[in-house]
Amino acid sequence: MGPLKPFRIAHVADPAEAVAAAVLTPGSRWLAGGTTLVDLLKLEVETPELVIYIGDLPLDGIEELPNGVVRIGAMARMSDAARHPLVATRYPLVAQALLASASPQLRNMATVGGNLMQRTRCPYFRDTTRACNKRDPGSGCSALDGYTRSHAVLGTSEQCIATHPADMPVTLVAIEATVRTQRLADGERSIPIGDLYVAYGDDPARETVLEHGELITAIDLPSDPWLARSCFVKARDRASFGFALAAAAVALDVDAGIIRQARVALGGVATKPWRSREAEEILIGGTIEPECFAAAANAALRQALPRRDNAFKPELARRTVRLALATAAARA
Amino acid sequence: MKQAVGLPIDRVDGRQKVTGSARYTADVAPPGLLHASVVQATIPSGRIRGIDCSRALELPGIVAVLHHDNITPLDSWPSGIFIGDERLPLSDEHIHYVGQHVAVVVAEGFEQALHAAAAVMVHYADTHKPSVMGPELPEAMLAAARPGENQSLRVARGDIDTALGEPAAIRVEGVYSSPAATHNPLEASATVAEWNDGHLTVHETTQWVQGTQRALAAVFRLDPTRVRVVCPRIGGGFGCKALVWPHTVLTVLAARICERPVKLVLTREQMFTSTGCRPATVQRIALGAQPTGKLTAIRHEAVNSTAATTEFVEQCGRSTSRILYACPNVSISHGVVVDSGPPGTWMRAPGECTGTFALESAMDELAVAVGIDPVELRLRNHADVNPDDALPWSSKHLRECYALGVERFGWSARDPRPGSMRSGTDLVGWGMATAVYPAWKMPAAASVHARSDGSALVRCATHELGTGASTVFTQVAADVLGFDMQRVEFVLGDSSFPPAPVAGGSSSTASVSQALVEAGAALRSKLCTLATATSASPLSGLRPELLEIAAGRVVARGDAGRGIEAGELLRLAGQDELGAYAQVSADAGRDPGYSFTSFGAHFCEIRVDPRLPRVRVTRFVSVMDVGRVLNHKTARSQVVGGIVMGVGMALMERLHTDASGRIVNANLADYAVPVSPDVKAIDVDFIDVPDPRFNTLGARGVGEIGITGTAAAIANAVHHATGIRYRRLPISPDGLLAPPFVEQEDSEA
Repeated sequence: MGPLKPFRIAHVADPAEAVAAAVLTPGSRWLAGGTTLVDLLKLEVETPELVIYIGDLPLDGIEELPNGVVRIGAMARMSDAARHPLVATRYPLVAQALLASASPQLRNMATVGGNLMQRTRCPYFRDTTRACNKRDPGSGCSALDGYTRSHAVLGTSEQCIATHPADMPVTLVAIEATVRTQRLADGERSIPIGDLYVAYGDDPARETVLEHGELITAIDLPSDPWLARSCFVKARDRASFGFALAAAAVALDVDAGIIRQARVALGGVATKPWRSREAEEILIGGTIEPECFAAAANAALRQALPRRDNAFKPELARRTVRLALATAAARA
Repeated sequence: MKQAVGLPIDRVDGRQKVTGSARYTADVAPPGLLHASVVQATIPSGRIRGIDCSRALELPGIVAVLHHDNITPLDSWPSGIFIGDERLPLSDEHIHYVGQHVAVVVAEGFEQALHAAAAVMVHYADTHKPSVMGPELPEAMLAAARPGENQSLRVARGDIDTALGEPAAIRVEGVYSSPAATHNPLEASATVAEWNDGHLTVHETTQWVQGTQRALAAVFRLDPTRVRVVCPRIGGGFGCKALVWPHTVLTVLAARICERPVKLVLTREQMFTSTGCRPATVQRIALGAQPTGKLTAIRHEAVNSTAATTEFVEQCGRSTSRILYACPNVSISHGVVVDSGPPGTWMRAPGECTGTFALESAMDELAVAVGIDPVELRLRNHADVNPDDALPWSSKHLRECYALGVERFGWSARDPRPGSMRSGTDLVGWGMATAVYPAWKMPAAASVHARSDGSALVRCATHELGTGASTVFTQVAADVLGFDMQRVEFVLGDSSFPPAPVAGGSSSTASVSQALVEAGAALRSKLCTLATATSASPLSGLRPELLEIAAGRVVARGDAGRGIEAGELLRLAGQDELGAYAQVSADAGRDPGYSFTSFGAHFCEIRVDPRLPRVRVTRFVSVMDVGRVLNHKTARSQVVGGIVMGVGMALMERLHTDASGRIVNANLADYAVPVSPDVKAIDVDFIDVPDPRFNTLGARGVGEIGITGTAAAIANAVHHATGIRYRRLPISPDGLLAPPFVEQEDSEA
């Protein structure tokens, strides 16, 4: 519990109403499971004048479309998505990441749509008495001279080194999921998740390409059967309820010991869910041998820029990549 | 009659707790209540140039903002009062540590107070950079230390330099460090203060109602009889609620100034800076031994961080190196280094948990150096008498603890070679350590009343931390009165009740039970006398010493059929109740010719997946010698809780402070404590031999010993698994990856 600036709360009947209400009030925020927003309200990091409750919108279905795509409604709870047979059998890495997220209580509240929008745990972002370009653009970055154990080593800039904290989005980046949204102007659109998150660059306040009033309605998981040969590995300080110190999401398409297709994404070490095409290039055409995995892991972290307190992260991340690849490879 | 003591009885308040009807301090809401919130310093050191309350005062519901510039400063603490922070809050413009309370905001609503507190603008000047000295620079911290003021902790036995310089001696030396840590019990600290006609009532989350009563009476210049402090139950304390902290004083002050009741509940974030911490420690230990492993020298230098306002010495060597092993040459010193963190204070086994980490790690290093089993090394150095005062132990069964632990754990299957035990890809390590905690006893009193409805009411100003004290004392009272437990009501947590000590030092059970024994005996005697003196009683005319109380009845000895139910006797005698009172000193029932200490042995198995890596504690066996066990269920929970807390200390807990001196992980997502899957099988057993030289029931305390030795047992197991000696806590993934961790699997490209 912390400070709490007063706000109004509105209830809406359908997605169109949710979108209209948000567009009408630029200083509004949607509330679904509340597991990020309520925290930030208490910290006064978020100070909306209007909170629009969308948690009851009928967007919580999980189904297979005729073309084999699995569609997860944005309001599906993380716990429900994790245990759904379509997710658990066809995309083990997604289910593993969901179950490695937060605690059971939080997973019962949090939605998959909200999880895509989870904010960083950077302590300087969460403390309104510190400088933070993400919270207060132009104010500076206290983290640069601060305590950086949790911070990113990939995708950083001199404006921001905040780590993207979520697990599931890392796996969605790996499997090339598509995010479906609804906007006031032109209705629905589909965004490849690789395009959803923007590099922080000079404007760390902007994390995604979504516009204000653009509602995530669903996530589409591609139909490729080889994605079942996948794995998510997360290193953290304790066995559960801990943010990733480093995490790896991988999928392998293997034929006779030769890797035909490969996906590698990293979590806990980058400013956004981090796809490593460098690692994938090394894997494709390679063999499912430790040497190949090690080379891929090294490639994935080659650009890493560690700081004083997170110097361990590249090595830990390399280890998660190797372990995830070895585990996926061993999965027939 | 069946004895209640010794049975694994469920908590008497268990149903209330699981159904949510148990009321805690923060639930108290007298009419007209105002809510308060503190404003905390965001600099580690400097002074306040000005406080701008204008924005806060315009907010809805705001009643007042109190700070050093608009209140009459409180007088200083009188001597002899135990407090957490010796500086009174709002006494001047100076800032001494991060999180120091600089203002208190009072509002009609809780959220309004929190919001207004965030709107108070504090301007600082002369901000000093904090010292960056900490356990990450252990040698620098050792070098910078000055001696602690409490020189009674110094031990100089024999000739340490000669013994360590002995050419034939086997020497091991190591520097061990632990970071600052926080108590953070589930229940946040809370105060509800109400002034009424010069009388002060305070509902307080406190482990010491009468200490709080005395402290508040002293600072507000009241006769203690005008101050009542109430706390029927606590949601965990671990030491952070033992002493009065500034927010309590501020709440009482706000209630006096606003002339309405005021409630203040610390936020979780504020809990990290407002009620003390276990300070960071650095300890250098040098052991000298004969080739047989027999100790010839122990040198233990301990240094801890401390706040500028309050010198707190973490007594790392006091109950560890001083007494644990037979050794002729012992040198122990304690020093402090001022830092900018919150004041250090007692945190579960203060000194013993940190001190045993260092000493019991060093003993493991010695076992490796000498090449003998760690258990055997400890047996060879067993202290048959207290080596410090040469007194015999009142009751020491440490050898049995080792033996039983070895058996239950299966220790004899241990291959001593590091890295030799595997399970799949996991490295398996087995480690052990000794647990030790002194047996404290303090003055206590109790009143007991038999009532005409056949029940008994027992009062004592002791405390229910959530650990089962009210259950155990109900058991004891039932036995000493001769009543069934169901007819005994035990009430505690009110400063107006008969005196009891602070719920600290694992002393409550030993101290209060002695008062119950004596008060119970007095009431039994009164009931027997009444039974013989009441004409309508079937026992009328008998000699009182021929009677006894059993199952709530006064009966003739050897003829239980002849008697009268106690309530009926009172009704016959025309009395509503019959009471007795006893006050006992710390020495009551204690034989001065002995030394009193509890011991135990921990054995643990850890696994390290070298591919990631992370340490997991997979098995823990503890055997404790704490005298007589009054309730196996609650006692076991205490030891299990201590071990779990020790797992956190060993593997994950640390306050992260950045270069500005501020804590950056002041929440329970980023400050890691163990969660359920971090804790596998914990097997706790007790020797359960009474210590009748200590008190009548023969029971020593059990609240703290579980955490002592735990971190060392884990670190020793990690060494056994990996061959690497980790001397710096916590042994977290980044700690494990620090050199010289060696890749087991494939090589780095």
